[in-house]
Amino acid sequence: MTSFKGTREAYAAALMDMADEHPNIMVISPDSLKAMRAVAFGEKYPERYVECGIAEQGAVDTAAGLASAGMIPFVGSYAGFLTMRGGEQMRTFVGYTNLNVKFIGVNAGILGGEREGVTHQFYEDLAIVSSYPNFTIFTPADAAQCYHAVQKAVEIDGPVYIRAGSGREPVVYDVDAPFAESGITVWKEYGDDAVLFSSGFVLDRVLAAAELLKEKGVNVTVADINILYGKDPSEILKVMAKSSCLFTVEDHNINGGLGSYISRLACENKPAWVTRIALTDYAESGPAKELADAYGFSPEAIAEKVVSTLKK
Amino acid sequence: MENEKLQQIAKKLRFEAVRMVYEGKDGHPGPALSIADIVATLYFDVMNIDPKNPEWEDRDRFILSKGHSCPIYYAALNERGYFEPKVEHFNLRQLGSMFQGHPSMHATPGVDMTSGSLGNGIAIGAGMAFAAKALKKDYYTYVICGDGELQEGVCWEGINTARGRNLDNLIVFVDRNGWQSYKSVEFTVGQNNVADRFRAFGWHVQEIDGHNIAAIKDAVAAAKAEKNLPSCIVCDCVKGKGLSFMEHNNAWHKGVPTDEQFAIAEKELGGK
Repeated sequence: MTSFKGTREAYAAALMDMADEHPNIMVISPDSLKAMRAVAFGEKYPERYVECGIAEQGAVDTAAGLASAGMIPFVGSYAGFLTMRGGEQMRTFVGYTNLNVKFIGVNAGILGGEREGVTHQFYEDLAIVSSYPNFTIFTPADAAQCYHAVQKAVEIDGPVYIRAGSGREPVVYDVDAPFAESGITVWKEYGDDAVLFSSGFVLDRVLAAAELLKEKGVNVTVADINILYGKDPSEILKVMAKSSCLFTVEDHNINGGLGSYISRLACENKPAWVTRIALTDYAESGPAKELADAYGFSPEAIAEKVVSTLKK
Repeated sequence: MENEKLQQIAKKLRFEAVRMVYEGKDGHPGPALSIADIVATLYFDVMNIDPKNPEWEDRDRFILSKGHSCPIYYAALNERGYFEPKVEHFNLRQLGSMFQGHPSMHATPGVDMTSGSLGNGIAIGAGMAFAAKALKKDYYTYVICGDGELQEGVCWEGINTARGRNLDNLIVFVDRNGWQSYKSVEFTVGQNNVADRFRAFGWHVQEIDGHNIAAIKDAVAAAKAEKNLPSCIVCDCVKGKGLSFMEHNNAWHKGVPTDEQFAIAEKELGGK
């Protein structure tokens, strides 16, 4: 496998690589074929590409109809256009019906939406989808992980939502590293002063924060959570047990994503201090890196939050 | 099946729908009666189905997009033999019942698609129809939606998709009874020109009397003869059709007959 320019390219590559083995895989496009980098799929498999036009609700419905007849439709578009505008269709005609439709939400988070501005940045998608029973939620941390997540999604019989970006995702994982079925990958084990949970494209920043903390004598564990609200959180619970000070870092609203998930696990299993580093407001346009820094995701800001919290 | 026999079945379904609402003490009888003749013709004449094998992959598909009309749907499935044993009391909308307030594909055998959130049936039907093309199957997908329902924007998304993808295996019936929850469709949107709208979107369009069995059959045949275009059959219907106190009375959009009214239904619809 070669490397990918970003998560969307990885998505398209995964589909192409699986297309012959899985003839029921289809691409449903609310005029997103180009944005999803899936033009080659549409050209090679025209009978497996459904263009629905700029119409997310109808695209999700059409995917539901296809899935009811045994197809495996992938609907890719901007995360919020799917989960908000097409949200009712995702809930009622894919979640409630438990149909085998796969969703790829791009431009997720400020790192995904960056220059486009608030209308095209989506940091609410996970909160929405996590309240739809039957959905499996994947949050790959980089492009290669997205490739594996798309492949993993096909193995699941039922709705899957995969969170993707816009090409600003830094490479963290080895390109061949599998998409962890346990929902967690431990990256650093410097110590038990705190556990830092990351989800999505901020992983490199959390890892950098761990290095800064180590220099300050604060030794933490860093883990990437790639499946949210999964059926078996046992491996996550084991890592949570390492410290009573837990931190979550996610490019998403503070409600409904990783922070809510870890808080719930802590409440239900082993009480701990959970500090959530996430978005609390709408963002704005800007270069991805500068934007992420400005909204609290710089390694320095993450490290500072950990230090100040541990002092309390 | 002979038209006269289908008319008798439609009458029976009407009674069963009213009985279902009367016994369950909740539901939408007026919209159900409106489409009784279409549903009877589809399930007892037109559709290629096997009630003993409701998941048969080559079956014709049906979506009741105006899902609140489901009492007539449940009655048709029951009469057609989808349930073993045949259902005597539907327990419509009751806890634990297989007959949900709106159709659920996993609750009720024979229901091809969950519905009830208005507007979605055409786009879902487009997906089913496209799947038939992709799988090289010759099944048809039938959708019934309401004229008020067409106010939902997503209807027109599905209408675009079906036209854009040349889904000539998708046949949509519009129950043009002229009413919606509060007032008339005309009051709501100024005009109820369903046929003009579908024509403007490039569909093959027919306009018929939705209570004329022969016309329904002929329209389906004409729709099937049309190649490349999806078909819309605009059916002029009477809300509450067949029951004197319900016909043209929009108060029966949702409502439960009293004991006295149910006695009238038994008399007029041959329940007794």
